Amino acid sequence: MSSSHEAAPSKAFLAEEVRRYHHFIVLALWLAVVTGAEIVLIYLPLPTAVIFTVLTLMSAGKFFAVILWFMHLIYDKRLLFWCFLAGLVLAFATYAALLCLFSADRIDTRWFA
Amino acid sequence: MSDHAAAHEAPTSTGIDHKKLIMWLFLASDCMFFGTLISTHLLYRKLFPAGFTDAEGHQRFIQDLFSIELTSFSTFILLMSSFLMALAVSAMHKGQLKSFRRNVLGVIIFGLIFLGCQVFEFTHFYHKGLTIQNSVLGSTFYVLTGTHGTHVAIGVLWLILLYFYSFTGKLGGHMGALDVEVAGLYWHFVDIVWIIIFTAVYLVEYLGPYGIWGSGLPAVVK
Repeated sequence: MSSSHEAAPSKAFLAEEVRRYHHFIVLALWLAVVTGAEIVLIYLPLPTAVIFTVLTLMSAGKFFAVILWFMHLIYDKRLLFWCFLAGLVLAFATYAALLCLFSADRIDTRWFA
Repeated sequence: MSDHAAAHEAPTSTGIDHKKLIMWLFLASDCMFFGTLISTHLLYRKLFPAGFTDAEGHQRFIQDLFSIELTSFSTFILLMSSFLMALAVSAMHKGQLKSFRRNVLGVIIFGLIFLGCQVFEFTHFYHKGLTIQNSVLGSTFYVLTGTHGTHVAIGVLWLILLYFYSFTGKLGGHMGALDVEVAGLYWHFVDIVWIIIFTAVYLVEYLGPYGIWGSGLPAVVK
């Protein structure tokens, strides 16, 4: 944690930071609203499949909003995005593989009871 | 890549600071780690939709235990802590140390509130009969949310150290901002994992009279 190559931030840099600051505020409000909407959604008399789909999309929206703006992926090098996406794809692939391997329709759960 | 990023390109072969690159690689690996835990929980919820049996031998549903108000509150707290963390990183980039301290203190307080909510939730569940040993649901639930809670606790500890380190005068310039940014990446990751857990573990249990997994329950249990 040393300060090896110090340089005063340029005007353009500071202007960009101020712009980001406003993005963060808008995003925080948006996240709060979406979270509130998720809670309301589960009580609505709609088909389960519809609610589940909308919840998944909302959750994915919040997830990517945080990684893109709060985690600066949208401003940073693309390599970082691909690194993270690799982990994410593997995580989803794990779930898909487990779901296929242990399909509830084909397994005798008494073995685990 | 934006002009902003280009202006601060690191003198490395990738143009990315090594600390930041390593943190992103760690987060990618942690993604797989949490992916496995969440997958295991979801899979076992599908296989064992009936919930758990308490100490008196009564069949209990997870919906009887969950408090959506408490979980929503802790979700909101964690999201807002992420917002404050973004402001803290921004303040460090601008060289505003006081603003950084103010924001990071907010993140620490919000992180502690989240942990307090989790401790309360775990205690409540334990007294209602859900333990880590008495059901598959208990095992996967406590391991998943407990691992996440441990990540939050590590994040809080890290930020407390950064907060006090900022008073030594050594946390400044580009490297100081990078240190804070790396800590911020970790904190935001903890937040995005909770975004998934909130939906996949908590909210889906409220879909339909027995949760989304309840369709697999035998009629006698319902």
